[in-house]
Amino acid sequence: MVPRLPWGDDASAYAAAFEVWLASPPAELRAATRPIASYEERVAVTSALMRVLFDEGWARYGWPTQLGGLGGDILHRAAMWEALARHGLPAMALFEHLEVLAPTLVAMGEPGFLAEVLPQFLRGEQLWSQGFSEPESGSDLAAVRTRAVAVDGGYAITGRKIWTSWARYATWCLVLARTGTVASRHRGLTAFAVDLRSPGVEVRAIEQANGTDELAEVTFDDVLVGPGRIVGELNGGWRVAMHILSHERGTFAWFRHNFLYRQVLDALAHGEPAGDALLGDALLDLAAVRASSYAALRSHAADVPLGARATFVKLHLASSEQAVQNWRLASDADLAVGIQDDEAAAQRQDYLFSRIVTVYGGSQQMQLDTIAKQILRLP
Amino acid sequence: MTSTIEQTDHEFLDAACRTLRAPAGDTDPLDALGWWDLLADLADRDVRGAALALFRAQGRELASSTALGALIAQPFAALTGHAPGSLVAAIGRHSPRRGERQVVLGDVTGAALLVDRPGHGAVVVGADEIELAPVTVPGQLVVHEVVTDLAGAPATVEESQAGPARARARSLGRLALALEILGAAEGTLTLAVAHAATREQFGKPIGTFQAVRHLLAWAQTDCVALESVTTVAIGLDEDSAPPRHDEIVKALAGRNGRRICERTLQVLGAIGFTSEHSHHHFHSRVLALDALLGSSTELTYALGAWARATHLDPAVRASVLLRDPAA
Repeated sequence: MVPRLPWGDDASAYAAAFEVWLASPPAELRAATRPIASYEERVAVTSALMRVLFDEGWARYGWPTQLGGLGGDILHRAAMWEALARHGLPAMALFEHLEVLAPTLVAMGEPGFLAEVLPQFLRGEQLWSQGFSEPESGSDLAAVRTRAVAVDGGYAITGRKIWTSWARYATWCLVLARTGTVASRHRGLTAFAVDLRSPGVEVRAIEQANGTDELAEVTFDDVLVGPGRIVGELNGGWRVAMHILSHERGTFAWFRHNFLYRQVLDALAHGEPAGDALLGDALLDLAAVRASSYAALRSHAADVPLGARATFVKLHLASSEQAVQNWRLASDADLAVGIQDDEAAAQRQDYLFSRIVTVYGGSQQMQLDTIAKQILRLP
Repeated sequence: MTSTIEQTDHEFLDAACRTLRAPAGDTDPLDALGWWDLLADLADRDVRGAALALFRAQGRELASSTALGALIAQPFAALTGHAPGSLVAAIGRHSPRRGERQVVLGDVTGAALLVDRPGHGAVVVGADEIELAPVTVPGQLVVHEVVTDLAGAPATVEESQAGPARARARSLGRLALALEILGAAEGTLTLAVAHAATREQFGKPIGTFQAVRHLLAWAQTDCVALESVTTVAIGLDEDSAPPRHDEIVKALAGRNGRRICERTLQVLGAIGFTSEHSHHHFHSRVLALDALLGSSTELTYALGAWARATHLDPAVRASVLLRDPAA
């Protein structure tokens, strides 16, 4: 167990101490560093690692003490995941949602509920998914149709969510539902924490073009949700969604891009001289996203809202991810046509996924529109 | 868009832009800014940030000075005993037609010139004692090529001492060039955004068309990438920078700078391709600066080859970033 006092205020000292600890890595980290094609297995080994990191205290830094954390801020989490990537962890798997959803849950959720569920999330016991998109509501998020109707004991939710990341592996889903009229658009939305084990919930995994089942379709048929499960205010769901998206587009890039560096380092052995220019290009893009996402972390740690600036970071992340995978494909034709052992299969998954990173979290076209309108102030 | 840079750097940048924009009198604008005094204390992060902000201002204002040569000469000045600013370095470049050449930026009349010859030490010579030929390139850059052959001149700084100074000089020079490229790219982007807001076709401003909006949004995204990377680089000390970091910064600047100029030119249309419009000055300046101390193309390729050969991690460690509270 890590002492709770020394590093709450000092992410730099925390990073140094964690590095020392990692010098003798636990078996759970070694188990999670090998290539694994199955998402189910990947979630299992990463959850096992998180349990160790939680029990040893490391994963509790960066979260409020009243919610089961050990204090500190996002810089502690930034240091932890960067070190894990450097020490061989290939991806965050479902724990990406710790950096997409959890900051908003902590900022806007009901404290009693969070004190119960956050430690379970951090310990890998009860995981979270994000239920925003619907068949008729993609880029136009304000057109959400899933309804939440006030009933005895809370709200009854009915509707259909799609592209719900990691729902197959999650216990909880943060659902954006309509509590006002359809015409009220973004003003009539509320965010609910829904227990996916509830009667009336059906999760259907969607097999993706890269062979994984990270995404799912989730249907809600009169699912009862208690009043304490509202995140943020009633009809304040848009604010919750924007808070989440500012993380998903901004600070999340810090966490994800560290694993892109990992992928580069792991693939160097396969590198061919013909790919050197592509590799160099990828390293430039990685330097860009590292610098801009670090500025986003600093901004968040200082409580300065990123606002529309998060879109730059999102675009830098997508560019770097595609650049890294462009090089990997050019260096290793096995991804396209070779026998798919676990290593090649996992890399092929990554390559194909990189072709769609310009879609999730707000399509690239939408990001560019945001910059044109809110930053450049074009007519 | 200057939101990621330090407040003090921001203030110096604004002041430098104002000073460089003011009508030229008898006063050296760098004197007026107190810029030469900054050279003596580049080890201090804040001083370094202010000193380097000048280059971004030069890019924006299309100003020309000997600042780059003075900055590059600074690590040598401690060895030669020159006062900051009195020694100006020439910059070596390879001409495919005429072999190794040395160029100087700005008006070097009366200055002492440092000509570095990797492998053979560096020589210091009065600029007035050698022949300089003007090089005419657009971009409102004052450029001269050293005509006098100094290959056989006795070394003023022996190779054993010149080596470490050279590494630091190149690193500072690349960062300064990256910032000047950023400034020039911002200069043309400002013009293109204003053009898109006012130029009308089909009865409305062209900036209402998504294709045009996206070109400009990409250009801004490339500017922010470069600004973020230079901000991190300014905060790094000699010992905390990962290997080849200066080359990454310079390569990114050249690549993004050229890309920004191409996108703004596309938005400006034919008027942007005339000599009466300022775009070509910004664009040509970016091309010229990209060609100094390693072009984007050669550095990018070399970076990839190096990473593949060494398997070294070129990322700035989180622990290094966290150490600098200003980063």
